[in-house]
Amino acid sequence: MEYSNDYRDGAYGMSADMPNDGKKYCIKGFLSGSGTTPTRIILWLVAIAIVSFAIGFGILAVSGGFSPGMAHPNSPFTHTAWIASNTTDFPLGGATSGNISVTMGAGEITLNGGARDNILMEATVFSKSPEWQPDFSSTLDNTTKTVRMTDKGHTGKAWFAVDSPNSWEIRLTDNVPVSLDVNIGAGDCQLNLGSVNLHNLNVHSGAGDTGIDLGRYRGGRFDATITKGIGDLTLKVPGSGNTRITVHQGVGDITGSGFTQNNGAYVTPGFNPALPVNEIAVKQGVGSVLLEMV
Amino acid sequence: MLQNEQEYIRILKNRLEGTLPAEDLEDLLSDYREHFRLGKADGRSEDELFCSLGSPEDVAKEIRATHLVKKAEHTCSCRNIFHAVVATLGLGLFNLVFVLVPFIILVVMLLVIFLVGVAFSLFGPAAFVYAILQLLGFPSFSIWLSPVAGIFLSVGITAVGFLLVIGDFYLARFFYRMGISYLKWNIQMITGTVHTE
Repeated sequence: MEYSNDYRDGAYGMSADMPNDGKKYCIKGFLSGSGTTPTRIILWLVAIAIVSFAIGFGILAVSGGFSPGMAHPNSPFTHTAWIASNTTDFPLGGATSGNISVTMGAGEITLNGGARDNILMEATVFSKSPEWQPDFSSTLDNTTKTVRMTDKGHTGKAWFAVDSPNSWEIRLTDNVPVSLDVNIGAGDCQLNLGSVNLHNLNVHSGAGDTGIDLGRYRGGRFDATITKGIGDLTLKVPGSGNTRITVHQGVGDITGSGFTQNNGAYVTPGFNPALPVNEIAVKQGVGSVLLEMV
Repeated sequence: MLQNEQEYIRILKNRLEGTLPAEDLEDLLSDYREHFRLGKADGRSEDELFCSLGSPEDVAKEIRATHLVKKAEHTCSCRNIFHAVVATLGLGLFNLVFVLVPFIILVVMLLVIFLVGVAFSLFGPAAFVYAILQLLGFPSFSIWLSPVAGIFLSVGITAVGFLLVIGDFYLARFFYRMGISYLKWNIQMITGTVHTE
């Protein structure tokens, strides 16, 4: 058996005295026999890796998937990807309206509509420690169901608390009017309420960014109060609604594209005070306010 | 203390039996017998000849190490390089630092690269499936910020995994050759001799 170190021949270091050594060259021999050299395979893999990562991270960059506020801003994974979660459901139980109160000390809250049928609220908690699970209480008073979700506070060891995520994802019913009260001490809060039928909305945020998306809102008239200490606020309202937004701000910019000014307030086009008005009052200490019409 | 030439040859033979092929061992012992014969013919005593050669145990270690390094050089295998390293360790206590430590570091490094490559190769397809499920609307599989991006990224991760495994093979081969050269240099430095093929 000839000795050859030419890859194209598909044999390298083959020895008649040591036939077992040829086994590890089987893959190379097979590949050479099929017209594909190891070098070509490696080049293909490199090209595939580069193109795939370029497209993947390009999509994330263009779609705004990277959030500078995250602990790992360049990670393509959700920050709750590898954290065990638990979900608690609160059935409507025949109620025709709901009172929801969510109180968090520090962490992130994401709130959406679209809970399953006959469910008033679905609360999913992402947290590494069972000690940080919130307290739930639920009462039914005639036709109104009240649910309270309260953060007990991080009483675990300091080393465990450092950089440990505490994230709540909440879904509310779209079927009955809901009064919503969200309190968050420190952290980001994103409320996507376009499909929810609001009666009242109160948002209190100490420090952190808040996003409230009422785009495609088709529910009844509501009043909303948004009180923020420090952080940016993004508020999206439907242009077809009859909405008036008053802003009291300490330090920061206010941007309201598409709105018209009416006695210092921002109103949607075609605003008519004689009709039911969605009143939104914003009180912000420090930070920018971005009002968008969708 | 050595009594005579026969004892020297006997110790040498005992130490090298099983390492050298029988024919090579017999040739070697014949060379040493000839060396003793010529030395005695020149009027040198056995003690002088013993001193000039060194102890048979040390001579056997050196011959054994040289032979195993040469064997590892001709036939690439994990077993051969391991035997060569172990044989070289016997040449001196300091080789525990200059041979064993680098060998362990290299083995661990290659193993880590291999395991990382395997992990990426397995994780990539799993993450691809997760991306598809996330795209279909299964929230419990939501690991990607963007499932579309996740499809491409998982392909990239799989490709990187394969590259790491293949690269590890070539890296191992490279370090194998470097290791053989280093062992030969090490033996040369310790024994002060140059072995040519």
